[in-house]
Order: sequence, then structure tokens, then C-alpha cells
Amino acid sequence: MSHGPGTAGGATVKERADLALNNEFLRKAVKFTTERLKNGKLKAMEEHGNWEEWRERGRQIRLHTIAHLDYYLNMFVENARANGVHVHFAETAQEAVDISLSIAERKSAKSVVKSKSMVSEELHLNHALESIGVEAIETDLGEYIIQLAGEVPSHIIIPAIHKNRFQIADLLSEDAGEKLEADTKILAGYVRRRLRAKFLEADIGMTGCNFAIAETGSMVLFENEGNARMVTTLPKTQITLMGMERIIPSWADLEVMATLLPRSATGQKLTMYMSGITGPRRAEDADGPDEMHIIIVDNGRSLQLGDPEFQELLNCIRCGACLNACPVYRHIGGHAYGGTYSGPIGAVLTPSLQKNIAEWDDIANASSLCGACYEACPVKIPLHDMLVYLRRRKVEAGYGNKIENAGMKGFATLLSKSGRFNTVIKLGKIGQKFISRGGEIRLKVGPLAGWNTYRVTPTLPKKSFRQQWGTLDAEIRNGLQEMSPDIKKRMEHAIKDRAKGGGHGHGHN
Amino acid sequence: MDTTKTHEEWLREMEEKSRAKQKTFIGGISSKLRRPMVDDAPPHPFRGSPDFWNAYEWNEQERINRFTDNFVSVGGHVQRLETMEEVRGFITDKANELSAKYIVRQNEPELAGLNLEDELPDARISVWNTDPEQHWKARSAEADIGVVMVDYAAAYTSSMVVLSSKDKGRSVSLLPTVLIAIIPVERIKTRLGEVMVQFDESGRANLPAGIHFISGPSRSSDIENDLTIGVHGPGVVYALIVG
Repeated sequence: MSHGPGTAGGATVKERADLALNNEFLRKAVKFTTERLKNGKLKAMEEHGNWEEWRERGRQIRLHTIAHLDYYLNMFVENARANGVHVHFAETAQEAVDISLSIAERKSAKSVVKSKSMVSEELHLNHALESIGVEAIETDLGEYIIQLAGEVPSHIIIPAIHKNRFQIADLLSEDAGEKLEADTKILAGYVRRRLRAKFLEADIGMTGCNFAIAETGSMVLFENEGNARMVTTLPKTQITLMGMERIIPSWADLEVMATLLPRSATGQKLTMYMSGITGPRRAEDADGPDEMHIIIVDNGRSLQLGDPEFQELLNCIRCGACLNACPVYRHIGGHAYGGTYSGPIGAVLTPSLQKNIAEWDDIANASSLCGACYEACPVKIPLHDMLVYLRRRKVEAGYGNKIENAGMKGFATLLSKSGRFNTVIKLGKIGQKFISRGGEIRLKVGPLAGWNTYRVTPTLPKKSFRQQWGTLDAEIRNGLQEMSPDIKKRMEHAIKDRAKGGGHGHGHN
Repeated sequence: MDTTKTHEEWLREMEEKSRAKQKTFIGGISSKLRRPMVDDAPPHPFRGSPDFWNAYEWNEQERINRFTDNFVSVGGHVQRLETMEEVRGFITDKANELSAKYIVRQNEPELAGLNLEDELPDARISVWNTDPEQHWKARSAEADIGVVMVDYAAAYTSSMVVLSSKDKGRSVSLLPTVLIAIIPVERIKTRLGEVMVQFDESGRANLPAGIHFISGPSRSSDIENDLTIGVHGPGVVYALIVG
């Protein structure tokens, strides 16, 4: 996959984040959008009231379902089959891809229209489909735009958050073969017309799944544009990709999720459309798919089951509230995280799904551990604790030894270069886990032997002054820069709209 | 691909594979949970919304007011009408005002009773799924206006719920440029949950293929957070509360 600015070009979060920090528009757009969504959520929480009770209820339902996932998943599968759905199981991404491709081949499909699915992003399914000559078309407005750009989503809810209207006009003009004005209405109107034809001629519709209701075998989709309805209504074959943990027991439980998800994602009382699909069309119906497949995907999810520190990750309802609350995400944007999922949830989920804690550890460090993500989470997942567990696990995974050894080599050579000093401070923070008690270090070995004979060394702060300086400096400099009058006008306009229009203005998929 | 196999045979093979895999897949989950697979329904003390919420209810006037306020705040339109005569008048005026050429409606007695064909002689009015030769998705896609009856509504979120059937196409509330949805006033509940529990109660076998909650016009803020109405679904939605 080719990547635009900020999507690749760095092996570490730090390098990818530097790219993002250099991109003035991205930083401002991400900040503006996340604040808009965050404020929308706060307003919706207050308006609805008793938010803590709803959160606790949401958490209990998710905990209960995951604790009995085998039971509820079996129930869902049996009911979905009774509804006439073809259910498939995929332990790995490759298996899910293979099943999808074999359905497409069986159907001699030329094109697949897709509504937003994070699982499909995990699988890199579009490329697989294209490799067998099947056109895969993302139909969510933001997803269509980034697909044209050859990029990946940078925000779980607003995937094209990092593109401005002029960049979008260029992409769509190229697609249209004529010059389109950089006007939102014109651009959205073009996509509507263009995709109408695609919906009507596509052989297969492909969706994700927000929730799967065990007791009735129904799958539920939340959206604002209507494209998920198109995808599940028009093509003759429907394929739904479902993470195995998407289950809830009943429609009664769906009310709780429908209360938490839209409010947490965008501040809406409910998305414009919420659809419960129960099997393919009935014999006498004149629309809806003739054939419906649901592919239940593990792809690393079961690694978190039975793990007391990470099992609650499976409670996630993919609302994106933790991204909007996260001061780090707001600065570096989604692509810096380098995985399908960004923000605090991505920082924990990516290494957990991939079982390679070592390689992804630097994501866990892209967090200030301030706990804003936990506070924002509608099902109370302790993400900030999980970030600490991840850091600890890297040490436990054997990387600790090298660090400890390095720490024992003495100061002299290390202090000669500031770069090395920085490294040591960083390593020291990890190394000291083994020797600090109550914020003090009394050990009398290695480089601390002399000092600690008569004194106590305080543990290193979470962030050294030097590390903080970089951020403060950037904040001050960027904060003082004038916004371009164009962006400023638009943002002021948006704020005015929000002030006069209650919940509206927060919509998107 | 083995083309000699019929599609039915292939589906059967896939199902056999799926059933074999189900055992290991779900068995794997049980063993991760460090216990044998449970056969009996686990007690679920937190099912559904909190009790204080289930007791929450507005009177009819308040339900109408709240539905209206919410629906208007997201860009929809609401009309409060007394009789189906008034509904006929509203739809006729609106169709004339918009110079609607194609109208598609669900095949329901209340809508047949409107006699729109007589009122709008110049418009082509199709009735969903009344002719097996017609391409009904295309009829809906070309329609300027779609007319539907709403099965349930929830005032708290201004949601209109439409269920699919032989006579009620999903396309009719989705593909036309303008959607006109008629809500008999007694179908408006306070909470979403009042509608949802009915699906639990009726049970799997009695559910339609499509249950759609529609809470306003289609929208997106994907381009620079700038709100756009009518991205894929209808951009203009009228909720006519009758009775």
C-alpha cells in the first residue's frame, strides 16, 4: 500500500510522530476534530444524565458476555444459521481473507461495495480482493476519500481527519475526470452520484458489525450516511466480518450500547441509522441479499481471553472516545501509531492482537499515563493500567537484562554525549523498576554504590525535564503561530453552528 | 475454482467445514476461560437498561414535543396532522411543490387509502413489490419521494423504526431523494428500549430481515468536519405525526 504524508516512513512511533508534528494542518485538524467530538460527548453525557450508572451497566454487560463468550457465541451462531446465514470461523487474518475470496470467486464477483469495517482493515482485505481482480469500493465518504489517496484511516470515527478540502477536491477531481470545486456540498454530491451506480451494480456488499445479538442471531450496524444500509440492501450477496467479541446477549442490552456508543463517539443521541439485520431476505421480500455470510474472526483476540490484565480489552465497543480524550493522540494523529487501531486503544490493542509486545512497545510509551482514556471509556476499560502492564511485560520478556547490564557500565562514557545520556535516563526508568521501593533507591551496587552509601537516590521521574522541554517548546511555538484565516473562519463558523444547533453538527459515520 | 460443483454443493461443504471448525474455535474460547463449555444459560443480572431508566415515561404530548425537537435539531422536518386526509393534502402539496415525477410507496392499506394516484395524475406512483417483473430497487432509486408507514417511534432519540416485509421494502425509506414517513401518534414510545424489548419478546423466528431505526436525514462530517446532509440516504425527511 502506498502511503501519504504521515502514514509511513518511520520505523518507530517517534519517527512517525515527528512526521505528524511537522504537518501543521494535520495537528490543527486533529486537535479541532478531537475537541469537537470530546465536547460533543461531554454535552451528551450531561444531557442524558446518570452517565456513571450507564457506564457501569455497559461495563457489566460486556464483562458478562465476555466471561461467557463461548456460550453466547454458540448461541449466536445457531440462531444466525436458523435465520439462513452461512457462518464461517477464521482463526487468523489469512483464513478470513481466504473465505472472503472464495465467496467472491464463487459468485464471479466483479465488485464489492464496503461499509466501514475495522476488521476489514485488520485483514487488508481490499488488496486481497484486488489481487484476484475484484474491485473493492469503500463507500463511507471519508473512507472513499482515503481509499482514493491510497491511505489508511487515521481516526476510528473520522477516517479522513487528516485531509483538507482542497486535497479532497484534487483526489475526487482525478476520480471524476473533471475539475470539482473544493466545496463540501459539491464534493459530497459527486460521491453520492458516483457511489449510487456502484451500489446498484455491485455483486457483493461487505460490512463490519457493531454488535451481534446472540438470542436472535441479528447483526447491528450504526452509521450516519446510509451506506451501510445500501450495502446490506442492494447487492445479492452480503458478507459481514465480525470480531468474535462483538456479541451482546439481547436487544434489551442493545439499548445500553445504543445509549453509550453514539454519545461517546460523536455526542449524538443516536446515529441517523441503526440497522438490525436478521438473515438474508425472506423468500417473498423484494430487496435485501439472497445470500448472507458472517465470518467470525479471532485474529489475536483470543490471546486476551483468560489474561487478567488484558481480557477487558475485549469489552471495547470501538467508539473512539479514548482517541479524542488523549493528549498524545491530539498531537501526533492516528498514523503515528502505525497499526489499524490508533490512540490509547490502539496502543494496547495492536501489541495484544499481534502477541509481539517487544516490537510494539514504543507505542505503549506514546502515552502520558494520565488516565484520560479510562475516564472517557464508556465501558470503563483501564487502558492506562494496561499501558503500564505492556511496558512491564517488555522488561519481563527478556529485554530487561540488556537494560540492566547497560545500566551497570558506569557513568563516564555515557555522560560524554547528550544522546547517550538521554538513552540512559530512559533505560534507567525501566531498570529502576527492579530496585526502587516507595520512590527511593537504596541499592549499593553498580553506578549507585558510592552515592547510596550515605544517601538515598530518588527514582527517576516519569518524564525528565529534557523530555518535557521538547513538547513544551513545540506547544509554545505552534500555539503562537497564526492560524490561516481560512481555517480560523471555518472553525469559528463550526463553533457558531454548534452553539445554535444542539446536538447537530456532530454527525459523521 | 471447481466449476463442476453446484453452488449449493459448495455451500454445503462450507457448512460442514464451519461446523467442524466451530468445535475447535469455541472450544478454544472455553479453554482460554479455563473451564468447560457451559450448556445452561448463565444468569445475567445486568440485562438491559438500569431500572430507573425502564421506569422513565413521558405523556403523549411530551413524547410528541420531544420527538419533534430532536428530529428538527438533526435537520429533519415534523408535521403534526390530525387525519389521513391532512396527510394526503400534505403529500400532494409537497409533491407538486417539488415537481415530483416518480413516487414509490409501501404496499400498505393506510397508504392505499390516500389515493395519491388520483391526487397526482402527472406523477408515476409505484407500489412496492406489486409486480414481480419490476426491478423494485431501481424503481426506488429513481424515485423523488418515498412514502412509508412507521412501525414504531422512540421520542427520546427521535427514531422512526421501519420493519421489512413482502409489502415493505427497505429501499423505499433509503433510496429516494425525499422520505415522507407517517407516524400514527400512538406508535410513539418514550424510549428505544420499549421498542427493542418487543424484538426479544417476539423472538428470532418472527423478526423481519431488516429492522431500521431512522433518526433524521443522512449526514456526514467527513470533509473537514463540515456537515453535509443527504450523503447516501435521503437528505430531506418529513415525519408526519398523525392522530
